[in-house]
Amino acid sequence: MSTVREDRIMKRVFLSPAVVILLALSIFPLLWSLGISFTDMQRGGSTIARQAAAEGITEGVGFLGLGFELTGRNYQRLLVDGRLHSTVRNTMIYVFVGVTIQYVIGLGLATVLNQPFRGRNIVRVIFLMPMMMTPVAAAYTGRMFFDSNALRSPLAHFLRQFSKAIGLEQAISVPWFTDIGWAPIAILIIDAWQWIPFMTLILLAGMQAIPEDIYEAARVDGANVLQIFWRVTVPILLPISLTVILIRGLEIFKIIDVVVVTTGGGPGSATESLTLYIFEQALSNGNYGYASAIAYILLILVIIFATIFLTVGRRWIRGSAERGK
Amino acid sequence: MGTRGRRWLRRSSRRPLWGSAILYGVVIFWCFIVLFPFYWLATTSVKRPIDVSRGPNYIPYIDFQPIPDHWEEMFGIQRESTERHFRNSLVSAIGSTILSVVIGAMAGYGLSRFRYYWGRLGWDNDNIAFWIISQRFLPPAIFIVPFVLLYNALSLIDTYAGLIIAYTMFNIPFAVWIMRDFFNGLPVDLEESARVDGATRWQAFIRIVLPLSAPGLVAVAIFSFIFAWNEYLFALMLTNFNAITMPVLIAGQNNTRGIEWWFISALTLMAVVPVIIMGLLLERFITRGLTAGAVKG
Repeated sequence: MSTVREDRIMKRVFLSPAVVILLALSIFPLLWSLGISFTDMQRGGSTIARQAAAEGITEGVGFLGLGFELTGRNYQRLLVDGRLHSTVRNTMIYVFVGVTIQYVIGLGLATVLNQPFRGRNIVRVIFLMPMMMTPVAAAYTGRMFFDSNALRSPLAHFLRQFSKAIGLEQAISVPWFTDIGWAPIAILIIDAWQWIPFMTLILLAGMQAIPEDIYEAARVDGANVLQIFWRVTVPILLPISLTVILIRGLEIFKIIDVVVVTTGGGPGSATESLTLYIFEQALSNGNYGYASAIAYILLILVIIFATIFLTVGRRWIRGSAERGK
Repeated sequence: MGTRGRRWLRRSSRRPLWGSAILYGVVIFWCFIVLFPFYWLATTSVKRPIDVSRGPNYIPYIDFQPIPDHWEEMFGIQRESTERHFRNSLVSAIGSTILSVVIGAMAGYGLSRFRYYWGRLGWDNDNIAFWIISQRFLPPAIFIVPFVLLYNALSLIDTYAGLIIAYTMFNIPFAVWIMRDFFNGLPVDLEESARVDGATRWQAFIRIVLPLSAPGLVAVAIFSFIFAWNEYLFALMLTNFNAITMPVLIAGQNNTRGIEWWFISALTLMAVVPVIIMGLLLERFITRGLTAGAVKG
């Protein structure tokens, strides 16, 4: 077999499995759910239609006898669904506040780990541990800590002792999961505890790739530690920072497990995330059509977020590269 | 390595005392933040229920008397359930990891070594690679309805195959991305000389390229495994009894008997331990594999 012909075949063999799987399990469901979002499909609808067809009834079982009607009503309903609006707001808070907290602390910890000190290797491994915990388990652990009963929760106990120590009459007690204001904060903290290590890991790798000469040159020019950090480290880390922020942001858009385990979306719908709402509409209520329409809203939000981020990000990188010259 | 050694000496000799104090302060504080929850899980799993609700009790043998009951329950009365869920997690995670590594390495190699051009879309290698990675970031919520319909139609609900297929789909984009970066960093000379000696593409790939890319393969395997092991939404949606995995089991502990923190803690540790052991053993690989392409230039 000639090499050229072999390569023509092999090049398909190498790429095809991945492409076929993605087409079948990603692109096809994506288009399918776009179609469903324009119907009033309910769970069990097709069974009813099949029974009706078996009994010879073709009237009143919907479009082509499939058990659902074509409709644009799902998209009208989006506009007036107050619960949806609060889940969108919650999700945005999780994404923007969450990413900011995680990036700032992650960058700080990466800077610390980039310093030479005794026991650095073991500390680096310890710092990674939260990432390996099942999010569901992290959420239960968070529930133990944010329990406002000081007999159960070490955190509440600490707050009580602390307020006693500084002489407060009324002990500080935070209603973590029962208060509309505090519940999202508790969820943000649990997610941050778990995912700061990811930021640290990647940013640290970025810092270690910065050649020593650059620092040396900055020091020769008389820059102090802070100046070196702001003028050298941060700009060089800009591209990789944008990447981790984008990855984490897109991941937080998917948040559901922590919310399910800690608050179940409550109080009211103060902590409900979009993914959780879609899940409930689809599987608890069986509103396949409406759930698909909301899922498309989520997809559009994600695309807007990623596009703005990539456009603005690229401009920043270019800008800082020019300033650096 | 030599430069790093010298830098170590230079910097640490230059660092003022207050600098060291702050450094160690931050390190110790954050180690506490990370480790205390694990400590709390470990101690809670050996506490009597009364010690959990009339606490908080911190130190075993001083504050409370540890008991092995909950662990005994998990491996005794509940043995069947524990084993089943653990096995389900293991089978679906390992199955999807193997598939993702194989398919990801193949596609990554293809994108790194051949030139593709999808005429109708006008896409070259970079476009294809971007399309593949972009699939990783689609919100899974959009797949809920079609997957439920599809899996019902194909009778894949509550089967290992169903979970493995779903997780493989989610892991492939990342696997392709990392492996492509990794192969881009490998020189082509070795393969070419092997091919001059008469090896086929496939032989060169299996015998020369794969052994050289162990760090990348291990990184992909770890990430795929951890993703599948910890995944909750699809496991909840696509299983109902036989194939329920650990995360769904743990999340479901919020049952009628009230929350049994001691039992949840034991279960949680059970679920965490394999991943932590793997992560600790292979931490080096994670960083190397993940940053092979991410950091250069």
